[in-house]
Amino acid sequence: MNTLARGLRAAIVTGAVLVSGGCATQVTRISPDQQIDLSGRWNDVDSRQVADAMVRQSVAGETGSGWALQYMQAHGGRKPTLIVGSIRNRSMEHIPVQTFVRDIERAYLGSGQVQVVASAEERQEVRDERVDQQEHAAADTRARLAREHGAQYMLQGDISQITDREGGRRVVYYQVDMTLVDLETNAKTWTGQHKIKKIVEQPRFRL
Amino acid sequence: MKPYTLAAAAALAGLATAACAPRMQPVRAVQPNGAIVRSTQEHDVAHARARTADERARLAQEQDAVSARALGDCTPVLCNAIARGEVAVGMTREQVLAATRSGTAAWEERGGGGLATLTARDESRGPRDVVAELAFVTLENGRVRGYAYREPQGIRLVSSAADATPQGTARARAEALLREGDEMALAGDFDRALNRYDRADVVSPNDPAVSLRIARALDKQLRPYEAAIRYRLFLHQLEIERIQAYGGAWAQYGAAVAEARSRILVLERGGR
Repeated sequence: MNTLARGLRAAIVTGAVLVSGGCATQVTRISPDQQIDLSGRWNDVDSRQVADAMVRQSVAGETGSGWALQYMQAHGGRKPTLIVGSIRNRSMEHIPVQTFVRDIERAYLGSGQVQVVASAEERQEVRDERVDQQEHAAADTRARLAREHGAQYMLQGDISQITDREGGRRVVYYQVDMTLVDLETNAKTWTGQHKIKKIVEQPRFRL
Repeated sequence: MKPYTLAAAAALAGLATAACAPRMQPVRAVQPNGAIVRSTQEHDVAHARARTADERARLAQEQDAVSARALGDCTPVLCNAIARGEVAVGMTREQVLAATRSGTAAWEERGGGGLATLTARDESRGPRDVVAELAFVTLENGRVRGYAYREPQGIRLVSSAADATPQGTARARAEALLREGDEMALAGDFDRALNRYDRADVVSPNDPAVSLRIARALDKQLRPYEAAIRYRLFLHQLEIERIQAYGGAWAQYGAAVAEARSRILVLERGGR
């Protein structure tokens, strides 16, 4: 009897350990290059695909960098200045646009073709700091006022989405359009586009 | 109902449902889920950086060569204009490039036989000097005979040193505004016409031609007091002009003076 009770107790403890081990949170670090789709909604894979495509279209090749090189030729090698405007999310999903917008900014800066200035959202903090320096910083270290670079071009864009659903299947289509607009003339200097299409199949019954 | 009838009905219903379901070719994945796909950004950016560096080096070399040639044979007046970054009458092609800080690729040259015109290759962002964007530059025997700026009021021509002075520039801009105002007055839009005349008055003050137009526009808008004041101002400005250049001003505005005097009389009588 004693042996049976001891065996039963050991079995319960082992079972409890197994159950608790099975329910523990499991984290596996993976490469950011690994493309994993779980729900079918907009994710990091889409964001990076858009960034890759937009960077290729904007800085590489004749169509992408042509406008910047033309500007340099007309202005003695001076780089055009660009400001990032609004990238509107016209889809039904939450899409953090900053991820690929930052990639594009980084590409522009890295390519040396364009000078990028702080956007309307970013510059206020910088301006506040500059104004503060006029009062509190030593004269020879103050950042001077009214020395900002005026942008010649503004990058604007939008993301649109079309969804088609039938039963457990869903087709999602995203289109990302970006445009570079000449601030003086409103002329569209460059347009970039990337399209993503996914089919999401969900089983009708799940455990 | 017998069981086999029920089974047949169920089978038929199943077939009908399957027949109505949307048909589709099998889908083909362009990227399998979980695949590792390296980003292409770094490669693209590095390639663009190398290309831009080459182009900038070429442009800098060209710019240096142009500047050396431009400054090598310039008169003091033209050297000052190049230093200011302003195109001037009498400059050579190289001096135009140096003054506008542009390269040969930015311009398109047309013409021949001693007369050539330089226009911007890319019209949306053409070369500019310190004043404004240049629409074209005309060269005669290799020297600038005249040039034109692209301004909000239209094209402004400069064909002499006097045209390039602040007074000459103001006069040309006022003339463009007056032309625009006249077009609007012709279309019966006196509000907008008055707006252009007022702007011309700011750019080129004490100009009888502007005062007369303002007076007429106010008169047409049935604003008699302001119109009378402007007519008087017009006559006063002519008096000053007459003193400065005896006879000339009156001859030019003879009919307008008579018109202004009669309108003042009419407007004053109407006001009583």
